[in-house]
Amino acid sequence: MRWSGRVRYVFLLPAVIWVLAFTVFPLGYSLTLAFFKIESKMEVQREKVPVLDEDGNQVFTSTGRPRTRTIVHREQTTISTFVGSENFERLARDKQVWTAVRVTITFVLVAVPLQLLLGFALALLFNRHIFGRPVLRATMILPIFVTPIAAGYSFFTIFYEEGGPLGFLGIPFLSHPDWALISVILVDVWQWTPFCFLVFLAALQWVPDELYEAAVVDGATGWQVIREVLLPVLQPTIIIVLLLRLAEALKFFDIPFAMTGGGPGVATQSYSFLAFRTGMRFFDLGYASAMSYGLLVVVMVVVILCFKRLRESYA
Amino acid sequence: MPSKTRGTRLASTLLATSLLAAAPVAAGDFVDWNDDGTVTLKLGPTYDDTEITVQAADLGALFGPDEQPFEGEEISITVNAGGPKGGISGPLYAFRGPWQELTGATLNVIELPFAEHYTKMMLDLRNGTGQYDAFMVGAFWYGDIVPGGFAFPVDELMETGDFPRWSYDVMPESLHALHSWDGVGYGVLNDADGQVLYYRKSALEDPEHRAAFEAEYGYALPVPPTTWQQLLDVARYFSGKNWDANDAEADSGMVLHLKVGEQGHYHFQSLSASFAVTPGEAVDRYHNVYWFDPTDMTALINSPGHVRALEFLQELHLTGPSAQIGWSLGEAWDYFLRGKAVFVFSWGDVGSLCQDTARSRIKGDCAAAILPASTEYYDHETKQFVAVETPQPVGNTTGGSWHGVISNFSANPEATYSFLALMAMEPVSLWSSQNGWTGVDPGFSYQFLQPTGSATVEDYVRAGWDAEDVKTYTQAYYDNFYAPTSLTYLRIPGTFEYWDILDKNLSSAMSGEKTAQEALDDTAASWELVTDRLGRESQLEYYQAAIGYGD
Repeated sequence: MRWSGRVRYVFLLPAVIWVLAFTVFPLGYSLTLAFFKIESKMEVQREKVPVLDEDGNQVFTSTGRPRTRTIVHREQTTISTFVGSENFERLARDKQVWTAVRVTITFVLVAVPLQLLLGFALALLFNRHIFGRPVLRATMILPIFVTPIAAGYSFFTIFYEEGGPLGFLGIPFLSHPDWALISVILVDVWQWTPFCFLVFLAALQWVPDELYEAAVVDGATGWQVIREVLLPVLQPTIIIVLLLRLAEALKFFDIPFAMTGGGPGVATQSYSFLAFRTGMRFFDLGYASAMSYGLLVVVMVVVILCFKRLRESYA
Repeated sequence: MPSKTRGTRLASTLLATSLLAAAPVAAGDFVDWNDDGTVTLKLGPTYDDTEITVQAADLGALFGPDEQPFEGEEISITVNAGGPKGGISGPLYAFRGPWQELTGATLNVIELPFAEHYTKMMLDLRNGTGQYDAFMVGAFWYGDIVPGGFAFPVDELMETGDFPRWSYDVMPESLHALHSWDGVGYGVLNDADGQVLYYRKSALEDPEHRAAFEAEYGYALPVPPTTWQQLLDVARYFSGKNWDANDAEADSGMVLHLKVGEQGHYHFQSLSASFAVTPGEAVDRYHNVYWFDPTDMTALINSPGHVRALEFLQELHLTGPSAQIGWSLGEAWDYFLRGKAVFVFSWGDVGSLCQDTARSRIKGDCAAAILPASTEYYDHETKQFVAVETPQPVGNTTGGSWHGVISNFSANPEATYSFLALMAMEPVSLWSSQNGWTGVDPGFSYQFLQPTGSATVEDYVRAGWDAEDVKTYTQAYYDNFYAPTSLTYLRIPGTFEYWDILDKNLSSAMSGEKTAQEALDDTAASWELVTDRLGRESQLEYYQAAIGYGD
């Protein structure tokens, strides 16, 4: 049966309202913010009124003076000034932004490949019959369920240099700029490698045994099986995992927020962290919106490139 | 089963806690009205059944044994998270019971992490939500609160005589200025922040160390050091030696709290003052200025004096544990309290925490002094360093001097004020400053020892203090707050942002990511952008008013 006439629009309406309210409106509003400077001002007047009891009689203090209470009359006005592309021009000039971009790119280029490689290696290992596989597999994926903020705080105590469980190593996990970034990357790898592992394992289990058998009959080594058989077959899965991890990693925020506060200095201050601080700590909302749109553009480019590659792999 | 039991217990506890907070308290639980005209405030078992006696007349005309002037009202006050026995938050819980019984109202204590407190407060104020009646603010937030019309003035309420009595007159002028704006009082007395030097007297006075120090550095070990340069020598001498018998490990010279996003930048502010401030009779373009040029708001933070101070701080950091780059206050203080460092320069909390033997191993060996001064300062007028033989110390009010400010969106400003004023009464304030966990530091006349104040050593000894420790502690604070030259306090719109930029760059310098010059040049460049964004002319006006330029 096909819906005809206007009734089908009625069924579409909730989804349309949802998208308009929670996607289009915030996007449009934040884009508007990026072109304005917003200031709030408040005019205040105070009025003293008598305090009355339940019967409407004036209440007095113990010294016999009539009690009063203050009512504050407020008028708040918000002034929006159009500033054109000023916020976007600031982005290009702002040293803090470029430092945050460098931190974010370093993080993405190290953490994401590590997660994919480790996840793939672990999936290969777990794709064969090993002792205690179900228990190990379940244990492996536990980090996914930890809130990143909680992971950040937990690893702050683990990496604590004076008396922490790894303190005996003498490594300045949190106090040296390079080590702090490495520590953040390690925690992210710990948390998200299991995700890559899980998806790769699922994909590997769909690879027909005949493919392995044919390769072995042809005399392929283990490495050749991986390179010539598995990687081409798993390419769409790899691209999807890469896409998801790249999009997430470009926005990384929670772990440095909890673990290092972005420091020492700005050594672990990511781009999202900087945008958050600009908007929510210093209320420079226009500039924070411009920053967010900068990130959105980058993420969109990454997504488009990944999808393009995905389409090619299916072609 | 166990988890269900735990869950049920947790739910019951939460329910009981919320009921306890909301339920009306029975007469006599927290307050006794005595026949001799006094009132006993009883804090309950959480606070060792402490009782504080105040004069009934000082509670104000609204209060009496049969009065509950704010019955049924409910107020909420935000504070840096610390819990019922945490710094600044603890006293709110401690005096909640007595206040609820006195007024018939209910107090909700809203704890917010330090890093989020400002944000939550500003969101509430900017959006006009009115969710909170008051905020326990740092004085550096005033520039964002008062000019915006968000704060409720308290002068009129004080004058009515209806509320618990306290006065601005007990404050040094430097602290009074932090509680008011344009001559109008907004802040209710609570905490007095300023950094002083704490040192291990026994180590500095040890004859063996004194002889070894003199042999190595060519002059007698000063107790305490009066210049930063002497202090660095002493810190270097003790660093890496096991001079404290509390453990078998090597100890440090100086311990610092340098974690980014927290309160590390205050170390730099206090230390650099005597390097970067050109002393003079009055505040003018070149004298007694630290942050900006008061004629055009050009940032001074990268002046040669500031840079030299930061280079000095980098040197000083090397005499402490390297992990302190990531340490908050608690970690650094505990390191000192465990006897691991010969020096720390920090707030009044340290002096009173030294007396808490549950946390401190150095009670009776925890001396204090005003911060040392540099043997050279930068002259902003001649653009040259000036060497001085007997440097004058520079006082500071570094920190937040955390205290209550009432929101203009409060529906119950009188009830809110009555609570803040109760905590500001002299006996209450004295008790708070004598107990380290409260985070309330001394700075008011009744907290100083006679003859400079009205307190006695016996008052403090009764509160568990070591007599020698308290003498140097209160004198150090007196000397600090009444120093002839003082670091001006920055409280203009955007102060939080200016300081945040400074904090990030200082952290980069301390961790070796940037040189001192680079870090402060970057700070200055970013400050110029902030000033332009917020409006150079209006910022200049606020700044001139804040530092008393042209008065």
